[in-house]
Amino acid sequence: MDLVCIGVSHKTAPLEVREKLALSEGEISKVLQRVSGTVAETMVVSTCNRVEFYAVAESAEKAKGALHSVVVSLGGDRSLEHLYQHHGDSALVHLFRVTASLDSMVVGEAQILGQVKDALELAQRVGAAGPELVRACAAAFASAKRVRSETGIGRSAVSMASAAVELANKVFGGLEGRPVLLVGAGEMGELAGKYLRNAGAAPIVVINRTRERAEQLASSIGGQVRDFAELHTSTILADLIVCSTASSQYIFTKESVSPILRIRKFRPLFMVDLAVPRDIAPDLSELEGVYAYDVDDIQRVIADNSATRAVEAAKAETIIAEEIARFVRSRSIRDGVPVLALLRARAEQIAKAEAERTLANLGADLSEKQRRSVQAMATAIVNKLLHEPTSRLRELGADQSANRLADAAAELFGLESGSPRLPDQPAAPATDLPAAMASRGSKR
Amino acid sequence: MLSIASHEYAIAAILYLAFLVRQRRLFAILGRVLIGTGLLIQAVALGSELADQGGMPVGLAQGLSTVVFLLLAIFFVLDLRYRIPVMGAFIAPAAVAVLFSSLLISGGGEPIPSALRRPLLPVHITIALVGIAAIAVAAGVALMYLLMERQMKGKHFGLLFSRLPSLKFLDQLNKHLVLWGFVALSVTLVTGVFFASSSSSLFWQWSPKEIATLVAWVIFAALLSARLFAGWQGRRVAVLTMAGFCVLLVSFLSAYDPNRHLGVFR
Repeated sequence: MDLVCIGVSHKTAPLEVREKLALSEGEISKVLQRVSGTVAETMVVSTCNRVEFYAVAESAEKAKGALHSVVVSLGGDRSLEHLYQHHGDSALVHLFRVTASLDSMVVGEAQILGQVKDALELAQRVGAAGPELVRACAAAFASAKRVRSETGIGRSAVSMASAAVELANKVFGGLEGRPVLLVGAGEMGELAGKYLRNAGAAPIVVINRTRERAEQLASSIGGQVRDFAELHTSTILADLIVCSTASSQYIFTKESVSPILRIRKFRPLFMVDLAVPRDIAPDLSELEGVYAYDVDDIQRVIADNSATRAVEAAKAETIIAEEIARFVRSRSIRDGVPVLALLRARAEQIAKAEAERTLANLGADLSEKQRRSVQAMATAIVNKLLHEPTSRLRELGADQSANRLADAAAELFGLESGSPRLPDQPAAPATDLPAAMASRGSKR
Repeated sequence: MLSIASHEYAIAAILYLAFLVRQRRLFAILGRVLIGTGLLIQAVALGSELADQGGMPVGLAQGLSTVVFLLLAIFFVLDLRYRIPVMGAFIAPAAVAVLFSSLLISGGGEPIPSALRRPLLPVHITIALVGIAAIAVAAGVALMYLLMERQMKGKHFGLLFSRLPSLKFLDQLNKHLVLWGFVALSVTLVTGVFFASSSSSLFWQWSPKEIATLVAWVIFAALLSARLFAGWQGRRVAVLTMAGFCVLLVSFLSAYDPNRHLGVFR
């Protein structure tokens, strides 16, 4: 069995391609059902920055072929140019890195973990995900949690949003009742929007190129949606503007904003540009009453600079490498030597050793027959003890609960070192993050 | 007694500066206590001096001392109300500098001519000094605003950035102080004209003091109406406040021009 992953992300594909491939929950279910005939297991992760198809199949080529045909049917032949493909351990590494938010546009943002969890849940619901994917994901979730708690990588994303709020506070004194305009409903914009809402800013207006996504974000943070055409009037009303669009051109320039300022009557305007490339022209700060900051400026507010962030990212990669090694080790134990055989071998080994010790203690005055009956007794105890679990596991066959039982047995008897966390005891949501961050659903 | 108070102020100024660098609550609390007790002591000292002179300060030394008293009193009240000890680092050192220089000036101004000794004169002078003190604090706040805005615009988030209150707060404080200062200034002008009109020889002589006061009044009148009607705020208001304060300072000092017999308007 081989794990295959193909997909597009903000790193490989322009927004137009990603938009075509982005799927709603209903569409994902259909795709899953369509593909599951050809592959053993499958799952689709679709967020605003990535669309990824995972599959487990006997042959990687067959799986790739099936997934390619899905991609072509959604986005046309051209979209294949932007695909990345991984299989085997490289697919595993990709899954772990994505889940740990190392591949995110904003490295360390916490939503992706929830999004992958949702993707797996959906695949399990429609019966597309099986034990292989479940185990791999569970291990990926565990390592993402480790990355989050053991490195400062999550802090940098959170601190971007909170630093923006801090900066805004230095202008306005407090954000209670300050009108906010979110231009672009990207991950970072969403995060900032949630922070601003928690700081009391209201009303929050969302403008996004795709209205659907804007509506999703607006409903999750209690805001209103406006069309892109209303950008001008929305700018007049807003005190804080957060930009996070994928636009390659400036959305706000000195020329476009200065007439607005006259209408605003010198009310201070606070602008944060979280987009790369930038949405706000850098010379906008020269205007009176305009306080405009880009990602670099906000990074500077945060004490830990990019150097320490690189260190944190390196730490995270190390953790992921460790976790993958552990997962691969336990998987090979599980796959190569079935748990039952392992258990039996271990028990027989113990029985033999104990019988021999007993015989050695009793000395030479035992007859050959007596010796044999001691050995037979030891073997019988092993057989009787293992009979019940053996037959039960065989009854369950290749069912998922059999896997669970086998895993439990392996863990109970210490048959493998460090088994991965089981899917049925998923990692609890990270408690070190605000509840707003743990909420999910930024799927297109 | 005055020197005890001024020493207390000096220590408080140092404490506030220390607070600016090292955010230790103890510094701010000690500074507050020292300013408070200093004000009490100075109030007693000034009160006994002024009582002998019919309730009004005479001469530059006393005038400065009174302004410093009012200035620190305003700061003290603001600090109690809004907890902004950082402001002490700007106000207290300036107040101490003024107070010490006033101690160097030989006191004892000339007695005020009997022609001007009217019951309302102490009121005129006191309100004038309150106005000057309020505008002085406003100028200090404006300076803080400009420094803070420079940090925010220049995007180098240094020491002051984390210590100073928000731009909005400083702007609002400036608004209130200027408003009160302007009211006091207007009352001063009206009562001044009232006194002068009673004696034809004194009526509006276009003396530097009169001109400077009038210019300052016009500046603050324009500033307040621009704020109220054109929505001015922030940087330009801060700059104008400081300019207005400078003009007012000229007016204040020219009142003590030794070459002219200008006990008159005081």
